[in-house]
Amino acid sequence: MSQLASWLAILAGGLIVTIKLSAFTTLFTIVWSTLLAICAISPWRPVRVLAVFYNDLLRSIPLLALLIFFYYGLGRLVAGLGISSFWLAVAALTINESAYLAEVYRGTLLAIPQIQWEAAASLGLGWASTVRLVILPQVLPSGVPSTVNMLIGVIKNSSLASLIAVNEVTLTATILVSQTFEPMQVYLVLAVLYLLLILPISLLARWLERRFGASAGMVEEIAAPAGPRLAAQPGS
Amino acid sequence: MVRETLGELLRGGVVTLQIASGAWVVGAVLGLALAVMQDLGLAPVKALQTSLTISLRSVPQLVILYLLYFGLGALGIQINSLLAAILALGVADAAFTAEYYRAGFMMVPWTQREAGVSLGLSRMGVLMRVVVPQTIPFVVPPLLNSFVGLLKTATLAAAVGAPEILYRGQNAMSRTGQIVLVMGLIIALYVIVTMPLTRAVAVLERRLRSYALS
Repeated sequence: MSQLASWLAILAGGLIVTIKLSAFTTLFTIVWSTLLAICAISPWRPVRVLAVFYNDLLRSIPLLALLIFFYYGLGRLVAGLGISSFWLAVAALTINESAYLAEVYRGTLLAIPQIQWEAAASLGLGWASTVRLVILPQVLPSGVPSTVNMLIGVIKNSSLASLIAVNEVTLTATILVSQTFEPMQVYLVLAVLYLLLILPISLLARWLERRFGASAGMVEEIAAPAGPRLAAQPGS
Repeated sequence: MVRETLGELLRGGVVTLQIASGAWVVGAVLGLALAVMQDLGLAPVKALQTSLTISLRSVPQLVILYLLYFGLGALGIQINSLLAAILALGVADAAFTAEYYRAGFMMVPWTQREAGVSLGLSRMGVLMRVVVPQTIPFVVPPLLNSFVGLLKTATLAAAVGAPEILYRGQNAMSRTGQIVLVMGLIIALYVIVTMPLTRAVAVLERRLRSYALS
């Protein structure tokens, strides 16, 4: 029992890094995805095409490949600037997750009926003001459940940062294994820690889906008829 | 040198393909088993199944992979890195494929099940002979998408030393020092394979759906 307590004390340090890593990534991902989604429905064709192409391209690159490229490629360039592998991981995770979340956001933006755009235009609102004052306030609630699901994906994917020397909880566990030679027990404890971290967020996501799903449901039906609602895909 | 590197990456690509296909089969079969178990709703099985799904969804694939490779290895059950990757990614995928099947089951009107039972089929019989065949158009596209996802997550196998594309890429990077070149080749290979596949699945999905709902 005291052995478990000492393990937990060591793993707690890594868990805090995991939480920080996921929090920063989530924050940046929300901002970056919103910008990408708005670009993807822009009335200017080049912007639209570029945004959609960017999304398609980034979604075809594996996250681990992106992390390793950032680490080996960018790492040397930015090491002089004092940028640690933690921030490289935040950047890679953000770029990866945004490509997926932007698609979801784009879907919810497109679900707003065309008449509203026309009504706003006839009231003299420009495109940017229409997005800011009319469209975004309406889609915010329906974007909440998928954003929370994204957070779950981010926490799970942040474990990959252990492979580029970010001292988050998975790396902490691996170091612990090299000291204790008990991989089964240590990794089981690690699995339970992830479970405890993610379980409340899963429950929140489910509750939010029911809560906001009712009002946003009709809009989403039009965007994606009769399809199974996909939860956040792992690790892709 | 480009040629040599490309050759090495392609050999890694074959291993990636093996991992993704293996994991896909494991995920598709196990997912169906989970969905059927949930549908039949036997109480103890259901509780076990729910906790299994929740755990699989909450634990990172990398941790599942470590448990199977290092964890089982320490208990004397040494499996090779390729098999460990196939099992870990497949098991993690099953939590999601189970959901695709379940959503598919819900597309079949309940009255058909009642009709099946009244014709003397068992509940299992109704599910396998009446419900499952009709869900195929709804289940195939997400399953194909999950294969595309697995092609990408197969890179995790590099963490336990399976010689897939990224593992070989890292070797090539440290051997030649040509980081940008190797990076470019890996990205290019992934884009060439997954971008058209994703598009094709989207087209298939639209077709199948309009066919199934008409």
